[in-house]
Amino acid sequence: MASIYKTIRNEDIATSRTILHEAIPLTGTIVSGTYADGNIKNYSHGMFQSVYDYPYLSSSANHIFDISVGISDQSALYSSVSSQQAKKKNVYNQMAQVLVGYDKNGNIQRFDADGDLTAGAKLDDVVFMTFSRLLVKDEIQKGTFSVELGVTDSYTSPFNSRVTLKDTGASSDYRVNSPAGDYGILYVSNSVGSPLDGITTPTQQAAGLIYYQAGVAVLTSSVFTNSFLSASANWNSDNETINASLTGSLIETNANNLRHRIYNISFNNSIELNSTIYFCHIGANEFNYSSNPTYLSGSQIVIKNSQSNNPPISYATTIGLYSSDNQLMATAKLSEPIKKTSANSLTFRVRLDY
Amino acid sequence: MGFQDNSGDIILDVVLTDEGRRRLSRGDGSFEIVKFGLGDDEINYSLYNATASNGQEDVEILQTPILEAFTNNASSMKSMLVSIPRNDILFMPILRLNEKETQSSEHSSGVFIVAVDADTEDNSAKNLDTSIGYIEGTHQKGVMFGANPQIDVSTMIKVDAGIDSAATLDVPADLAEEQFMITIDNRLGSIVDVSGQTMLRPVAVDDDNIATYLVSKTDENSFVTTPSQGSLLGNDSPINGPLSARLQFKIKSRPELVNGNYLFDLIGSTANIENNQGSSATSPCKIIDTIVRVTGRNIGYSIDIPVRFAKL
Repeated sequence: MASIYKTIRNEDIATSRTILHEAIPLTGTIVSGTYADGNIKNYSHGMFQSVYDYPYLSSSANHIFDISVGISDQSALYSSVSSQQAKKKNVYNQMAQVLVGYDKNGNIQRFDADGDLTAGAKLDDVVFMTFSRLLVKDEIQKGTFSVELGVTDSYTSPFNSRVTLKDTGASSDYRVNSPAGDYGILYVSNSVGSPLDGITTPTQQAAGLIYYQAGVAVLTSSVFTNSFLSASANWNSDNETINASLTGSLIETNANNLRHRIYNISFNNSIELNSTIYFCHIGANEFNYSSNPTYLSGSQIVIKNSQSNNPPISYATTIGLYSSDNQLMATAKLSEPIKKTSANSLTFRVRLDY
Repeated sequence: MGFQDNSGDIILDVVLTDEGRRRLSRGDGSFEIVKFGLGDDEINYSLYNATASNGQEDVEILQTPILEAFTNNASSMKSMLVSIPRNDILFMPILRLNEKETQSSEHSSGVFIVAVDADTEDNSAKNLDTSIGYIEGTHQKGVMFGANPQIDVSTMIKVDAGIDSAATLDVPADLAEEQFMITIDNRLGSIVDVSGQTMLRPVAVDDDNIATYLVSKTDENSFVTTPSQGSLLGNDSPINGPLSARLQFKIKSRPELVNGNYLFDLIGSTANIENNQGSSATSPCKIIDTIVRVTGRNIGYSIDIPVRFAKL
């Protein structure tokens, strides 16, 4: 009998998993300047600020990340917070619940500078940068995250000296004790000039955390103070320090001030592709004829030139994958016709990604 | 869809079809890939120059630009490559709409018309003569009674499968068509046998409401028959050669068309169709034009039959 289908055997179906990466560069001018803050969305609740890649009222704008500020109620600053104290605490606790989790007594744990939750310095006054899934996809690739910040003490010229926070060495050294997945330590180092005070090696000073699957960066406010710097940066146009602004200004205002000092951000995202590969084997005597109406003149095969002994020829342009009830589940198009005769056999490797 | 870049290596552009995605989203195991077929929709074999010098016969065919893959499952694989385990075949079976008899002929407008409700079929009992099933009491050619196919024995769709060459004596057993696939818009109509008594159940209805019916030559139904080769002498087939099978069926209109005008307003238009009054008098009807596709399951040859659903 003739046939227009061929069964795919189980041994001709394979599965594979592939990780793809995309480079995501975010220049600081997008974050503050290019669109005169038309791409910055503030909310009446005031708990975070959203950054878009284009004025957000446009339908072509994409959300790229958010900025918020959190202060732990165990922070030395907490008692002096005079603006949005509850909201800053709530933001901190919410993020800590999700990213750090709870201790054995059900208490929310605080962000830890080195990931060792049992001891060491805690990050109590922090800035959160939560990146859109559009950019992060499945996760941020370990060892690729970098944010460069201007830390000049002058507010008006913030980028004369800069530092970089980077998850140096995280491809082979990261933490897994978070309920939100893997995370790495962000280390601060000099980028332009030498604004850091006594910090000379790439992994000497932890300054934040990067949660890879969650797509959240947690930056300590100390990056902008004389805890790390030779001189604290003037966080706003009133020449206040970040600590003064964290306690006395709105989250939105602090988000504006952070954007003012973002020089650039870059990372690679990761996309996990699960693939099923169908090997479509076509033997020498298979699929050599066609049901194409132009294949026949009357009922005679045109390419045989009236000679039945001439070999049949067909030209494949499409591979259709079918269910048992003959419904077309997937289509594969070749970029050019493939000649099929009884003198050749073919194997098409059709990969479906999920 | 754009053309694929054919300047370098051969690449495959693969997509799940909309029906594939729909089944995948169900999560009930209905998404399964068990077989494959090859298509050649873009190929025009008349470009093959058998008299050209060696290697030059198919230059134009091999340069055919190929479109990117369509996600609509109904838009691809219209013509398929066929496996036949011998190389000496010169003639292949085809399908032809058989209009040799009045009862299997299209309407004069070039389509089969399905009168979707009783009033459109025949409203003479109401002392009206605007229905389209008859012209002055005589059945109008090419008009099927969609609401009451059992009382209409005059119009059917008849498709012959065979080899269109008088030089061939019979259809080789490995090429004979004895099973057919019929696809029709499931919102509009369903397939019934010529008696109007036996309704078929579709084997699948896809995301675009295209229903697929399979009919085979069995003793249980009259859809597929094997005409006697002697009947060829009567010149009752458009195929000038041996036949392997004859498919005949009618179309029953869906209740949605009988009871409402939503689909007529959405995807239809209007046309004047000759009515029972005669003398070329016409009635304005709401119409929906569609295509019923018949495909031979063995060779894969298919024909599209234009069908018009009409309602007063």
